[in-house]
Amino acid sequence: MSNKIYLDHVSTTKPHKEVLDTYTKLLEKYYYNSDALYDDGVAVYRLQEEARAKIANMLNVRSDEIIFTSGASEANSMAIKGICLNSKERKHIITSIYEHSSVYNAIRQMEDKLGFEVTYLYPDDQGVIKPEKVKEALRSDTLLVSIMHVNNEIGSINDVESIAEIVKKHSGTYFHVDMTQSLGKIAINLDNIDMASFSAHKIHGLKGSGFLYKRNYIEIAPLISGGQQEFKIRGGTSNACTNIVLAKTVRMALDEMVSSAKKIKELKDYCLEELAKIDEVTINSPKNAIYNIINISTNVKSEVMMNAFNLKGIMVSSKSTCGSRENEPSRVLLSIGVDDNNAIRISFDNTNTIQEIDEFIKILKGNIKKYGRD
Amino acid sequence: MDEIKYDYIVCRYGELSTKGKNRKDFIACLLSNVKKSLKNYPELEYVKSHDGLFIHLNGVDYDEVAAHLKKTFGMSYFAGAIRCERDMDDIKAKALMISQKNSYKTFKVVARRNDKTFPKTSDEINRDVATHILRNSELKVDVHNPDLKVYITVKTDCAYVMDEKVIAPGGYPVGINHKALLMMSGGIDSPVAAYLTMKRGLKVECIHFASMPYTSKQALDKVLELARIVSEYQNDIIVHIVPFTDLQLAIYEHADESYAITVMRRMMYRIASRLCDKRKIGVITNGESVGQVASQTIESMNVISKVSDHLILRPLCSMDKIEIIDLARKIGTYETSILPYEDCCTIFDPKNPVTKPKLDKTEYFESKFDYETLINECIENIETVKIVFNDAKEEEDIF
Repeated sequence: MSNKIYLDHVSTTKPHKEVLDTYTKLLEKYYYNSDALYDDGVAVYRLQEEARAKIANMLNVRSDEIIFTSGASEANSMAIKGICLNSKERKHIITSIYEHSSVYNAIRQMEDKLGFEVTYLYPDDQGVIKPEKVKEALRSDTLLVSIMHVNNEIGSINDVESIAEIVKKHSGTYFHVDMTQSLGKIAINLDNIDMASFSAHKIHGLKGSGFLYKRNYIEIAPLISGGQQEFKIRGGTSNACTNIVLAKTVRMALDEMVSSAKKIKELKDYCLEELAKIDEVTINSPKNAIYNIINISTNVKSEVMMNAFNLKGIMVSSKSTCGSRENEPSRVLLSIGVDDNNAIRISFDNTNTIQEIDEFIKILKGNIKKYGRD
Repeated sequence: MDEIKYDYIVCRYGELSTKGKNRKDFIACLLSNVKKSLKNYPELEYVKSHDGLFIHLNGVDYDEVAAHLKKTFGMSYFAGAIRCERDMDDIKAKALMISQKNSYKTFKVVARRNDKTFPKTSDEINRDVATHILRNSELKVDVHNPDLKVYITVKTDCAYVMDEKVIAPGGYPVGINHKALLMMSGGIDSPVAAYLTMKRGLKVECIHFASMPYTSKQALDKVLELARIVSEYQNDIIVHIVPFTDLQLAIYEHADESYAITVMRRMMYRIASRLCDKRKIGVITNGESVGQVASQTIESMNVISKVSDHLILRPLCSMDKIEIIDLARKIGTYETSILPYEDCCTIFDPKNPVTKPKLDKTEYFESKFDYETLINECIENIETVKIVFNDAKEEEDIF
């Protein structure tokens, strides 16, 4: 097969053509500073605010609750560090052990540098953080609870609505959710959530683009000090065209959600059926995992397996791509008791086909036969 | 539970139901306004009857149509309705569906037969349908204060079950009662005055006094945006923009600072009156409220309005600021009104404006310069724009 097969859609996605076209068009015409007061600058400002309002509307929140960022990692840092820097009394954070590194390391930094105490919750055998565990861990000085919606390595889905209910009753504690992997995949309800992070490039948008949802009354300290942009919590000339096209990106993701979920589910079910026929394969993803992610272990080291796939033009990941150059075993897999260093993550999109799955399975079998060690 | 699909919307006429022989004109005007505001939905069909207007949705989304109807004057309320067969089982099923829509606790059935040949009496229909809902849901009957009233109407060819009433803004259909010229500043009050003027059936045109470059392009855009927002209540709106700077500078050169606002307001009324004559508009309306600022004391208003023979309506005259703000929020203009741009009233803000101006003193200041020429220049250079609310904006495909 000459064409490459991309099965790493959780890592990033190909931008929609509509998004790219609009973006290039915008860049040519609307390059002015969105804070300039002449007509052309104001036009850019207006488009950006219209985009903000449209995104807010799609998520059922207020316009002044959407802060454009360079992506989900920045949004996570902005939320976590921003609220910690502003807190005088409360010095306790609750999070999970299997958060994305941008949450995990931001919180570690608060622990090491600012003296915060952190409770790290562990998932159950289904990879889920039980809401009761959050309830038990809450203290009178808990400032922040940060739990991800969908885990990016194993695909487990946390009941963030129930956690939000619990945190809501605990006054003075804020609930932040990393929703990078859930936007455009499953329904999102921000009703009782205080802050949430989102990314564009996971939903066929641009890299360097994302946003933080933050309730308008919550005050956070800016990470990038500067001018009046983004409600004074993110200085720097606005990346206006990128922010404007984000509205289209989110709209398309939500428009396509139901139809593409159906298609991807079929692909995943088919893939799982085929994987079940291979003795050497263990499924690491829990039963109720999200429909676009499968995490498996084989009897081949992750790195070797990935290289072998790469030689055949198939792109998969071992763990989170953001930690791909680190040699330690995945914190996420360890948390659910997988310590074999043999894991592979496959993630689908509605552009994948059954033929591609067949090809993947065929090559997987070949790799296991050739490189497998019992 | 499947989402309820309404077949039509039943609209009930507002105050116009009482208007003897003008009724026909009122209904025709209302229908024409409704059609204009819904012109982007060609699938809709309209049937007017003596007791209401029926809009057949033909697949158009109920919520989209309802959003427009909520901004149409001349109706007391409207409600989504589901068509059913003249068959008790079908009526019961549809009524149950509606009762399950929200988390109602109590209900009451109100049946009506336009067709008296239907085998059951209204009371029997009430009881049968109520029993069906009681058996199949948690709801309880409350005949005095129900959360939900299920209205059933049996006609000769079909029956329909009506959902909860949605309160419409009332008033008279816009256009039934002359035109009015609204003095629009860009603040909180004038858009509310526009809304209340339209409510009584007057079609509003706006006059705005612009003081470029002392006021910015954004300030003017804000006024146009406010006009656009209120235009939804009458489909479109005409805005006359008066270049006011030269006249304003002359006033500040010749009048005592404390009298500048008094003279300025008189000039505005003079220009508005001339424009009324030119456009055959019978009445001036504005957002003045008694005592709100120096130019709105009874003494000031007296001296100021002397320059105009036109009827002047001040729909906000007895409202408190807080009531005006509440209404501004309701009609959706408040957030735009408070955007921080200078308007023509705030630009030359005198320190001690007179609250009890004397007519002779005012006239003395005016006699010091040739304002007639400047007024004529203002009128000649008026820029007129028409804003159509639901015209598809020439928007690039950005979002």
